[in-house]
Amino acid sequence: MDPIEFELFKNAIFSIADEMALTVFRTTYSGVLKDNMDYSTGFADAEGKLVAQGLTLPGHLGSVPTAMASIMRHYQDDIRPGDVFIMNDPFDGGMHLPDIFVFKPLYHEGERLAFACTVCHHTDVGGRVAGSNASDSTEIYAEGLRIAPLKMYEAGVLNKTLMTFIEKNVRLPVKVFGDLRAQLAACHIAEKQFAELVAKYGAGQTTLYMRETIDYAERLTRAALEKLPDGEWSFEDWIDDDGVDYGKPIRLFVTLRKRGGHMVVDWTGTHPQVKGAINNTLSFTKAASYTGVRSVLPQGIPNNEGVFRAIEVICPPGTVGNGVLPAACAARGLTGFRMTDCMFGALAMMLPERVKAAGDGGNTGVSIGGYDAERKPFIYVDFTCGAWGARPWADGLDGNSHMFANMASHSVEVTETEQPMQFLAYEFVPDKAGAGKYRGGVPFRRDYRFLEEEGVLQVRSDRRTHRPFGLYGGSPGGPSENYLNPDGENRALPSKFTMTIKKGDVFRHVLAGAGGWGDPLERDPAAVLKDVRNELLSVRQAEADYGVVVIENQADMKATAKRRAEIRAARGWREVPAVQREDPLPKTRKAA
Amino acid sequence: MTSYRVGVDVGGTFTDIVLLGSDGTIHSKKISSSAENYAQAIVEGLAEVFRETGLRGDAIEEIRHGTTVASNAILEHKGARTGLITTRGFRDVLEIRTLRMPRMYDLTWTKPAPLVERYLRQVVDERVNAAGVVERALDPRDAERAVDALLAERIESIAVCLLHSFTNPAHEVLLKDIIRRKAPALPCSISCEVLPEIKEYERTSTTVVNAYVTPIVARYLRALRKGLDDAGVRARLLLMQSNGGLTTDAAAAERPIHIIESGPAGGVVGAQALARARRMPRIISFDMGGTTAKAAMVEDGEVARAHEYSVGAGIMIGSRLLTGAGYTLKVPAIDLAEVGAGGGSLVWIDAAGALQVGPESAGAAPGPVCYDKGGETPTLTDANLLLGYINPAHLVGGALKLNAAKARDVFTKKIVKPLGMSMERAAHGAHLIAASNMIRAIKAVSSERGRDPREFALFAFGGNGPVFACGMAQALGMKRIVVPPSAGLFSSFGLLYAGVEHHYARTFRRLLRKADSHELERAWDELSQKALEQLASEGFAEKKARVRRSATLHYQGQTYELSVPLPDGPIDLAYLEEAFGREHEKTYGHRAGADEPVELVSIQIVGQGLREGASVPARVRPSRAEPAPPPPRPAYFGSWIETPVMRRSDLARPRSGPLIVEEYDATCVVPPGAKAELDGGGNILIDLP
Repeated sequence: MDPIEFELFKNAIFSIADEMALTVFRTTYSGVLKDNMDYSTGFADAEGKLVAQGLTLPGHLGSVPTAMASIMRHYQDDIRPGDVFIMNDPFDGGMHLPDIFVFKPLYHEGERLAFACTVCHHTDVGGRVAGSNASDSTEIYAEGLRIAPLKMYEAGVLNKTLMTFIEKNVRLPVKVFGDLRAQLAACHIAEKQFAELVAKYGAGQTTLYMRETIDYAERLTRAALEKLPDGEWSFEDWIDDDGVDYGKPIRLFVTLRKRGGHMVVDWTGTHPQVKGAINNTLSFTKAASYTGVRSVLPQGIPNNEGVFRAIEVICPPGTVGNGVLPAACAARGLTGFRMTDCMFGALAMMLPERVKAAGDGGNTGVSIGGYDAERKPFIYVDFTCGAWGARPWADGLDGNSHMFANMASHSVEVTETEQPMQFLAYEFVPDKAGAGKYRGGVPFRRDYRFLEEEGVLQVRSDRRTHRPFGLYGGSPGGPSENYLNPDGENRALPSKFTMTIKKGDVFRHVLAGAGGWGDPLERDPAAVLKDVRNELLSVRQAEADYGVVVIENQADMKATAKRRAEIRAARGWREVPAVQREDPLPKTRKAA
Repeated sequence: MTSYRVGVDVGGTFTDIVLLGSDGTIHSKKISSSAENYAQAIVEGLAEVFRETGLRGDAIEEIRHGTTVASNAILEHKGARTGLITTRGFRDVLEIRTLRMPRMYDLTWTKPAPLVERYLRQVVDERVNAAGVVERALDPRDAERAVDALLAERIESIAVCLLHSFTNPAHEVLLKDIIRRKAPALPCSISCEVLPEIKEYERTSTTVVNAYVTPIVARYLRALRKGLDDAGVRARLLLMQSNGGLTTDAAAAERPIHIIESGPAGGVVGAQALARARRMPRIISFDMGGTTAKAAMVEDGEVARAHEYSVGAGIMIGSRLLTGAGYTLKVPAIDLAEVGAGGGSLVWIDAAGALQVGPESAGAAPGPVCYDKGGETPTLTDANLLLGYINPAHLVGGALKLNAAKARDVFTKKIVKPLGMSMERAAHGAHLIAASNMIRAIKAVSSERGRDPREFALFAFGGNGPVFACGMAQALGMKRIVVPPSAGLFSSFGLLYAGVEHHYARTFRRLLRKADSHELERAWDELSQKALEQLASEGFAEKKARVRRSATLHYQGQTYELSVPLPDGPIDLAYLEEAFGREHEKTYGHRAGADEPVELVSIQIVGQGLREGASVPARVRPSRAEPAPPPPRPAYFGSWIETPVMRRSDLARPRSGPLIVEEYDATCVVPPGAKAELDGGGNILIDLP
């Protein structure tokens, strides 16, 4: 193995994977796909093992190998030049129905050397609710079109029957076909550039280097894991409910077992699968696990099979982390985000100085769909999140995507131009960030005003009864909130629901605040003052949470010392609590 | 009397000054930048040139200037204390940004701090809807309250950005009137004037950046003007813009948003001009210095431009996917792809035992090991020295002495021994890996836009560009390399080729098939009028002004646009639709069916001031005498070859590689099998087999 030639090869193949990703990004029709970077591209070797993945969505880290395994299972001896595979079935290698995989085998002189892989979240794949992401479906059959691993092209010939089937079963076929075109374009680019790579290195060396790319990532991962302490750590957290069995909490439980260069992430003890559509496939649980572990490993380790070899993920079938038929899974994003947060909790037990507290819980999904006066369908899908848990060295970020998704918000002005929708607010909400030596991220609210005659509003949110946890003395963040017509009836709505709305109705969603890190009484009064000045923290709350007495924009240091001593006595900690899910003192002083 | 035009490029470390005489003579000067007072360095540098040459201030006809003064103010958070007024409910648009972060698994990520802190962001109770209809009128008393509150905070600059103001600016105009009345001297940036385009975050961010740097840039330009006047230089001062065109100092002080990426533009514009003169329709410019390498594309004589970019985003491979760093500016700029690879890039071995180069750099201090200024980590420059590519004894015409023995010792200890390979294989490996990192920048501006790099010539400059150019071209299958005169000073030299240029744009969103071509014509005419008025005020009236139109479009439902130029004459919507389809196919390899609706998103105007005759003579003559060339030395091209070292003028007749051309400001490596010769303009042309 020539280490230099190998480095050059590795550079080249990851650059192709990124170029595929850019191709999808720029030609896509779907705002979900583009703004949430909800797609991935990559290469697998001839056996379907992931070699390189483009830099897009952490949530897809486990997806390609699982889907490839399914293709190999079904078509082992029936893969030919000019074939293109398509699939989305969660129970046969997929994740949830909107994620459609397109794979193309790549050949050199008749020999299969690799697969170009793409997976994209499509705007709609049919089913009972526009956008195909309802959280209250109770079986997969309500969620949309289920595509088993099939050939979209067979030896270069388009499967028209299949395409017609898709066309007639989705709400916006132009968008779906437009995005499938983008996926095909990415595969073509991969095919062309891969051929150049093979021409340069030869088929034998190419195969060898692809294998070495995987081994290289494994070595890097193991070397990094070696540096972490050995041992076993567990963490638990709860999702409020599944939106069907209201008020019934769903337990997530993870155990990390780390020895030398190997880590086991074991989800045994996690709640059985639920009726609501938040059941993960195992591949998605893997993605959450890898994302957590990767956040404490050095940057720059390539995404491929090698990483997965060093990190073993276990989750028993029939749990919310590994659903089996007929589990509904359209809104499983929620579980993925929360498993990532649960990983952060476990990792914080392992590495107290390196990991953040819980953020807002990952994105809230809001979709509004219906038909306009001319019976033309509209679908508005919005995912939003933004508050990071506090870090052991710094405040949580305000207005920054959850690490599991790295999504972007859609422009208010563009949305208002394209959709029957108006925004009345998109701004920070004070007094909801979890207190701490470093405070949690400040959440925001979004107020949506609906402008069509009638539509169906569907919301998937959480962190209402189980608030984002604080770490090592930090307080939990404030809960999420939903309201209908806040300036009128101001009706409180549950965290997950589907309802009919009428013209002029306003829906308000307030994200949960993120958890704090460290004892709030150790927070620098100047930092407290800064938040007060910026109206992210009220004077009243500054005193209640931090014991900082603010008078006319100044901290009264004497009164602060006194107040801090009182709080210290009242909460009576014998040791600093590692995890807090409720406030250390009852929130009697908190404003409504 | 010979008159001179001056190009001045102020970088972080060096200020480069080039004087070009009407007779083709060139004087150049490289001096240390003074971070405290960039203007002073320029004036003192010019004074030194005057002393050395006997020239006087009145011999200077024009000064063209590329500056990082605005981008530095942003990077260092040393801009003006700025206030912002926004629509109620949207106070945090500036700070929430797009939510996205540029790093995937990094718990240490820190968002760039907002340029206007929350307490300096005031809201007003008003609402204009997407159709431009006022749904909630702005009460002047509320507007005055917001302005007063900010004035009470002693702000030095103010920005206003309300929702949908690009469709109906009435409320922003009302606020502007109030600000003018209450604080006539306060710099005031209004979003409907700075950027009348859709997308509230991009518009707010752009308007705020403009407000944030206005007082700094204005102060700087005043100081520079005064310094020049005091030195007897009365020549007019033109500033390089991020888009590659020049603007007057007055216009730059008003809209500094256009000169943020002024620095790297000069070299690209110079490359474009030389390529046009040589009738090379397609080139990729490649500029490599001490810390970064930058690529840009010129196609059919036009520089590819981006409509949006981030300032202060840092340098990341794959950054086109990972956005969210820095501060977003939605103004046209030369589309530069940048990677962290330069002479100072560190060479190291990662945890899995692989050889890596960069992105960390040894910087100016301590610098490469061979500079002998305390650097203990090998760099690319050390590798190039060990390979015999650069002079082992000294650089910059002898001004910088090198310690080759030390470079060899450190490289052996830290790289060669752990890798268990020979010195030359390891050094060559580092060279190749750096080249492959930089190739990603070239691919970013070519193949990622559907262009095949093999159809382009590589135009290499910067101190290190010509060291790497041939190897990179070989790897990409590019056949022709061009190395211009004064390659190491080309960023300032390139300024001399630029023309005056102004860009205007506005959102004009509608389905092409439902668009009214007369209405479109009127909208374009309004923008043209603005451009022509601006040009006329700068001395380019009527025939000296040229205006070109372009539009950005996408298929309805897509969220990314492509730009299409429009020929002069009546507007032909069918042509526009077809041109867009062609561009989509060219860039992405596919286009939608004919029945798929195309949406117009925005329209643009570029106004150019035309000057008579060529801006730079075809043949330029450096005043610096070429020193005698050093003796041949062994250089490594897969094996050691005794390689002749030459002066540029030695290439007056064609020669075959291997050979090395050593100059005051750059070194050019020509590998075995390649042919090199000078063209009539003093460029080195290299053809690969």
